[in-house]
Amino acid sequence: MRNGTLAAFITRNVSIRWYVPVAFVVLGVLLYFFPNDTVKDALGYRGFLLSFLYFSFYWIALASSWNMLTGYAGYFSFGHGAFYGIGAFTAAILITRSGWPYLLTLPIAGLAASLFGLFVGFVVFRMRQLRGELFGLLTLAVSFVVASIAANSDAIDGGQGQNVRPSQLATPEFLGSFSEMMFRVGVVVALATIFASYLIYRSRLGRGLFAIQDDEMVAEGLGVPTFRYKMMAFGLSTFFAGVVGGMHVPQIGFVTVESVFGLNVPLLVILMSLLGGRRHWMGPVIGAFVINTLDTALQRSGGLDAFGLALSGTFINELVIGLLLIVMILFVPGGLYERLERRIIPAFVVGALVAALQGIFVGGRITQQFMVIELFVIALLLIPEKYYAPIGGRFELHLGEKHTRNIPVETT
Amino acid sequence: MAQAIASGILTGGLYGIIAIGITLNWGMMRVINLAHFSFSFLAAYFTYQITVDTGIDPFLTLFVTIPLFFIFGVALQWFFETFEIEDFMSLLVTFGMFLIFESIMRERWTADFRTLSSTEVAYKTEALRVLGLSLTVTRLAVFLVAIAISLGIWIFLNRTYAGKALRAISQDRAIASAYGVNHRQMALLLGGIAGASAAIAGAFIAVIFVLRPDGATDLIGFIFAVVILGGLGNTAGAFMAGIFIGVVQNVTGFTSLGPGFAPLITFLVLIFGLLLRPEGLFTGIDTWLAKMLSGRQT
Repeated sequence: MRNGTLAAFITRNVSIRWYVPVAFVVLGVLLYFFPNDTVKDALGYRGFLLSFLYFSFYWIALASSWNMLTGYAGYFSFGHGAFYGIGAFTAAILITRSGWPYLLTLPIAGLAASLFGLFVGFVVFRMRQLRGELFGLLTLAVSFVVASIAANSDAIDGGQGQNVRPSQLATPEFLGSFSEMMFRVGVVVALATIFASYLIYRSRLGRGLFAIQDDEMVAEGLGVPTFRYKMMAFGLSTFFAGVVGGMHVPQIGFVTVESVFGLNVPLLVILMSLLGGRRHWMGPVIGAFVINTLDTALQRSGGLDAFGLALSGTFINELVIGLLLIVMILFVPGGLYERLERRIIPAFVVGALVAALQGIFVGGRITQQFMVIELFVIALLLIPEKYYAPIGGRFELHLGEKHTRNIPVETT
Repeated sequence: MAQAIASGILTGGLYGIIAIGITLNWGMMRVINLAHFSFSFLAAYFTYQITVDTGIDPFLTLFVTIPLFFIFGVALQWFFETFEIEDFMSLLVTFGMFLIFESIMRERWTADFRTLSSTEVAYKTEALRVLGLSLTVTRLAVFLVAIAISLGIWIFLNRTYAGKALRAISQDRAIASAYGVNHRQMALLLGGIAGASAAIAGAFIAVIFVLRPDGATDLIGFIFAVVILGGLGNTAGAFMAGIFIGVVQNVTGFTSLGPGFAPLITFLVLIFGLLLRPEGLFTGIDTWLAKMLSGRQT
């Protein structure tokens, strides 16, 4: 920071295009007004859509926060649930015991999770052997430890759970009813997390993290401050995990150790990032949206009753998710985003076509329609390059920020 | 206290049996096989179902489940070999399988708790009294079987051609093939052995525990702690670590902390074990065994 000013510091360390922050702000403003009554009447959607979109934002934020360390630096954490749970409990306890307003607890929840994350990172990142699987198992063990401390210590919870009633939230009037308020908070948190993830991706920090993923020894030899970068990434990742945990408290209502420290969160988050592609900031966003749609649509469907087999919706849901994970890792290890980037036009055409056909002939629930569209697009993306290239190759569209990531190199 | 230690040792035997399958695959083939947990529970459900349907002794079902899960294990290993799944990728792929197996179990046997009562297993609650300690017969059997399996596999790895070939592969695959070791065949054999051990573990799970489709999820943490503390690929170490974890759990439950703190203590032990000795706490057992048995060297 020789020039001293903040602007100079930013241009030296981050390289973003002006339209991206603008796009984030515009999207945020548009989504903020989405639950308004006039917009609702004009578009004619039902109240369920708000809650569905809230859950999408929730998972998008959670997956993006996980990806900040794991996607970029390649350190697989299975302990994301611990930081999410710390955030949730911090917020819940501040609301129930100290009477804090809900929105004020969010940054505190993030800080609490981040502090603990930095402590774990400080111990773990110093050990060179603790990479790969061992790092994953260690973080998993950390989350079990945190869960059993929370369950057994009366100062935190003692296992009886925290009941957060909507009347205790004390949210400002202008955010609207409960579902509207949750939707708006979800929009802000999700966009902030994605934007942070984008900034890391486009910064020196992100570059360093990718170098660590490729070869940590070489990165260190070339002067990447690996320990500091890993700490920064882990600190940010756990901060946003904590914020999302705090954010979700009113939606859970009754916060128990089992509900927030379960394996559900870390496992789904991993799945989402892998599905979308963890080497790009858009990957977790896509993955989270797709998995959340599948989850919602299949859980709500009545299941399948054919060929003499009666299968429940939950069963099909888990089956599809498990198979999707295996197929993705075996055949598209880079994730959907990588393919989508090169097949954007055909994907868009297929999606629009399926959407139109469904709108005319099928109808039905909106989540189900989303799911069908997504499955068709995924099917297109899963076509191996060998068969796709001769036909689809000519529809390639070169997006602005592809392949050439011109990040300033320090000149000293 | 002595009672807590004794039952801890016996329960630890079961952890040991499950961990042996994982540690073999991880240490030798670099495959972290989460599906092993599913296999163990699937075998437990099979045992349960056959026992309930036919009324035979649950341990007689091993004549069906061991060959069946040997084949399952070989098939799974064939899948790993064909797609060259190793290291981290294996963890994710088998996690997908884990989810699928869990949903299959929930669909077939529902989320209700299932258990073999003492009408089906007459000796379920029988216990021996030794030196004032009460040792449940089934748990004693787990312990003895765990000893037999870990010793058997140790002898297999150290005294037979196939075992030596497997160890050679785990050290350097390319050099091992240059010396004429058929890597694929050996891997399949290993997968089969791991599958068979899952079948044995399953029979004990069915007899001792209450069955739930997500029961496997609860075990993952403990078994990984056992595998890591035992040292990768070290079956005798896994057995010792299983007992160690079993004792830690039971003794924690016995003290004023109460059973709620058992996971906390277990995973604190794991964390400190990882930080201080990432290669495992019980790695020395291997060389000690070699020294003990060296008299019978061929």
